[in-house]
Amino acid sequence: MSDDAVLRRVDTIVARVAGPARLPRDPTPETPLGEGGYWLDSVDLLEVIVACEQEFGMTFDTNDDLSEKSLSTVRTLTDTITRKTR
Amino acid sequence: MRALWQVRPSYYSRTLWALLLTLDLLPWPWGEDILARLFVARAFLRTARLRQALRWAACQPRPRWRLALALCAYQGRLVAQASMLGRRGPDELRRFVLVRGGEHLPAPGRPTIVLGFHLGAKGSDVALKLAGHSFIRLGGPRVSRSWLNEAWRRFQSTGQIVVPIDDTKFLSSALYEARRRLLDGGTLFTLGDGHGRPAFQLDLPGGPLPIRSGWLALRRHTGAIVVPVLSHMEGRLQVVTVHPPLPPVDSDSARDLQACRAALGQLMQEYVRRFPEQCPSLVYWHPDPGVPSGEPTTQALRSDERAV
Repeated sequence: MSDDAVLRRVDTIVARVAGPARLPRDPTPETPLGEGGYWLDSVDLLEVIVACEQEFGMTFDTNDDLSEKSLSTVRTLTDTITRKTR
Repeated sequence: MRALWQVRPSYYSRTLWALLLTLDLLPWPWGEDILARLFVARAFLRTARLRQALRWAACQPRPRWRLALALCAYQGRLVAQASMLGRRGPDELRRFVLVRGGEHLPAPGRPTIVLGFHLGAKGSDVALKLAGHSFIRLGGPRVSRSWLNEAWRRFQSTGQIVVPIDDTKFLSSALYEARRRLLDGGTLFTLGDGHGRPAFQLDLPGGPLPIRSGWLALRRHTGAIVVPVLSHMEGRLQVVTVHPPLPPVDSDSARDLQACRAALGQLMQEYVRRFPEQCPSLVYWHPDPGVPSGEPTTQALRSDERAV
């Protein structure tokens, strides 16, 4: 699967979890998942992580994969997923 | 001493932290008793707190002034408990702990969430562990002189997922780790009220209690059995009551939430009716509705533990 395809699928998951009320006006892959972007809180992020796990048939390592950086934007989360699934 | 001074939790004022460090030099329960009296005295100096307590007490079928002052005293006791004031080691506390309803805890190997609350006596998890129950604790860091001593460090050395309470991203990875442990058949202890996005509010006599959503997400993702525990003091004895499990997960999320709300509401109402003086968190917690993500601010939720 290409990086773009992964990005699109992650983007869809994030948009679904955020819901229409929190969807930014012009979201990009660099839009923050948290404050100032999608405003996802810790429980929302858990939903995103679990949904990605199911979508891509993978598991995350808590220490290595779920750092502050990897959970910053759709792009950084996608990078983590592509690194794990490659 | 300097090291302890530097690790002061942000929700304690410098004055309170200095007081806690000083009182901690006394044997248990002297420091706790002194702090309880100081919190009563403080209520007369900071009358806003006393007025809050009186307003709350007016909603309870008890003598108003007596209940308000007992509530202030209990708030001091609660802060002392949270700091393990004067508690040198687990062995000396064991005989002051009683667990009722232990039969409601499922056999090991089944994903289980033991759900404690800030409401009432502090440290249900410590009491349960002292009584021989084992689980992984998901919660904030613990800072006090006692927690730094060797005996307590050994006691809590295994089975902890420590969450810095202000870090959303770390919280999410902690929740993910907790989910993994539950899926492996583990037992998790966490608190159901307090910091975190509220899932719903329980309307209790005199004030609402926000119930947070992290444990509900874990329950939904793992099908874990959730066993609520509430803790109260009977003199020096800390009694932890393990209640029957909440209903199993319903595929209809609205109905599921309603079932949890009803079951917890009944437990909490009964608790407040029986031990109103042990509920300062109901009086002093005010989640900030202005936070966009719905996460109450730590400061708001910790207001019961702030400045003397």
